[in-house]
Amino acid sequence: MDFLQTYGFLIVTMLQQGLLGLSLYFPLMAGQLSLASPGFYALGGYIAAIMLTSPAFAGWRDALGGWIFPLTWVLAALASALLGVIVGVPALRLRGIYLALATIAFVQILQVVSLNLDITGGAVGLFGIPQAFGFEDRWQYIWIFLPLTVLVLLFARQLERSRVGRALRAIREDELAADAVGISPTRYKVLAFVIGAALAGIVGAMSAPFLNTWNARQGTFDASIAFLAYTLIGGSRSLWGPLLGGALLSSLPELLRGLADWRLVINGLVLVVASLYLPQGIVGALSKLRRPVPPKRPPVAPPPALPLGDAP
Amino acid sequence: MTDLLQNLINGLAIGSVYAIFALGYTLVFSILGIINFAHGAVFTLGAYFTYTLVVGQFENNGLIKGFNLFPAGSPFHGTPWAFALAALIGATLSGLVAVLIERLAFRPMRARGADPLLALVSSLGVALVIVNLIQILVGAESYNFPPDIYGDLKPALILHVGGKLIVVRTVQVIIFAVSMLLLLILGYVIGRTRTGKALRAVAENPGTASLLGISVSRFIVITFFLSGFLGGLAGTLVSTAFSVAGPYFGVTYGLKGLAVIVLGGLGSIPGAVVGGLVIGLAEAFVPSQYSAYREAVAFALLFVMLLLRPQGLLGQRLIQKV
Repeated sequence: MDFLQTYGFLIVTMLQQGLLGLSLYFPLMAGQLSLASPGFYALGGYIAAIMLTSPAFAGWRDALGGWIFPLTWVLAALASALLGVIVGVPALRLRGIYLALATIAFVQILQVVSLNLDITGGAVGLFGIPQAFGFEDRWQYIWIFLPLTVLVLLFARQLERSRVGRALRAIREDELAADAVGISPTRYKVLAFVIGAALAGIVGAMSAPFLNTWNARQGTFDASIAFLAYTLIGGSRSLWGPLLGGALLSSLPELLRGLADWRLVINGLVLVVASLYLPQGIVGALSKLRRPVPPKRPPVAPPPALPLGDAP
Repeated sequence: MTDLLQNLINGLAIGSVYAIFALGYTLVFSILGIINFAHGAVFTLGAYFTYTLVVGQFENNGLIKGFNLFPAGSPFHGTPWAFALAALIGATLSGLVAVLIERLAFRPMRARGADPLLALVSSLGVALVIVNLIQILVGAESYNFPPDIYGDLKPALILHVGGKLIVVRTVQVIIFAVSMLLLLILGYVIGRTRTGKALRAVAENPGTASLLGISVSRFIVITFFLSGFLGGLAGTLVSTAFSVAGPYFGVTYGLKGLAVIVLGGLGSIPGAVVGGLVIGLAEAFVPSQYSAYREAVAFALLFVMLLLRPQGLLGQRLIQKV
């Protein structure tokens, strides 16, 4: 297991960040760019950290043993989903850059609050979080992050193929048209937002023991941007994009470790170059490679006659 | 009553800097429809340029030790004039950096008509590069402007009102005066001159403007220069008022600037001024027992404004694109 000893931490980090990239993918299925994920990620982590360290939960921990960990995931998902509904219902009336700004504001407010509460440990945060299931090595977190990744991918694939997925796609392509055929945009947008929130919350709850400490630096504007970069650079139109983007970009600083001081500069340059030359993301570029000649758009079919005979 | 007055003074001073900083954002947004996240980094750079020129010492492990424009013994050394000149040069250099940013990170994207959200990532990449280059070149420590940077005039005014002291610092007067002067000049340039007319035409509709013989890319360069100039000058003013400028100094202001322009109305120039003053005052009036939450005020206002009136205080009604 030498390989895992050396690279296990990196692999787990890649999965973890890939999952966070995916948490942006769900709202994006409905065409909503939300940067709120770090807020839910931080919330999930705080819930886990508090339940695993606070004396108030000592009784629970004794009674539940290892089951306390799955419980923190469930509670983190529920709390994030609930907060997601509270924030999402008003905020999702906004679109594009306005929604992005509102979600940035949400993350900033949560950060200031968590810096000032006693229960979150203030600026210092919470530390000494016990390792999940008594793991002795960081790479063992692969046993919880990998199944979660597989589950999320399967879930997302099923979702895309379902009625709900088609409704989300319809909203992404044309919200008014979707509304006109009886799809409630608000309901589906909030649903997609809440799924992303719950996912970010679970990842937070899994990450608190993985990182051993939890503080307000976990859910910051920088994280919002990092997750956005994962999605856009990986490719926002495919499930694999955010996962791949997260895995690649989060491994970049590690791979560049030899360049010490310069690695963040290079990270920045990668963002610039990738957004300039890979507008469809890596996955988009790869699928273009597969069919080098872009298919000509089929001639636009004349619109079918409207059954009600109204002039369009 | 005295608290009210003191808060008002503090709020107007910081609010006016928010305003000129945010103007840089809003100018670029009104022309290109993108948010230039590197604006906060340009703000930081402005402070560093001025600091280098006027103090010229980075006593640490960075690669650059500094370049003093007025070394000891030279005629203007240590005078407010030296500082004023350094601040102007610093702001001009910031403007040039902003032009360079447009050239490298935005222009190639515009040529292809890429998604504006990609411009967001690209400008963030630029910010990351700038902030970390600063760290490499001069180190991660914060630097303080010497307290007598504006000369030994401080404080400008001490009022006795009802047995309490109200202090108006020279820095505050200068910040407020410089900001208002800049706003007046900018208002004149944009409202009254041919250049301003052309800028407004480009902001309104680049396609039509270019048909009318306006060189759109030239005005985009002008816009970025103005934006960087204002951002860099704001960086210098803020860092002298609060005596601190580290590499990450611009991040918070970058985000607050967003709150300012949304509050005033994205793309609206008077909106940026009103938004800046409103947020500056709102922060100044946070009661001291809740001061820990002061940093959340701008974002709470941003969030509420987006929900109630997304077009902002002075913005035009959003046209829903179908």
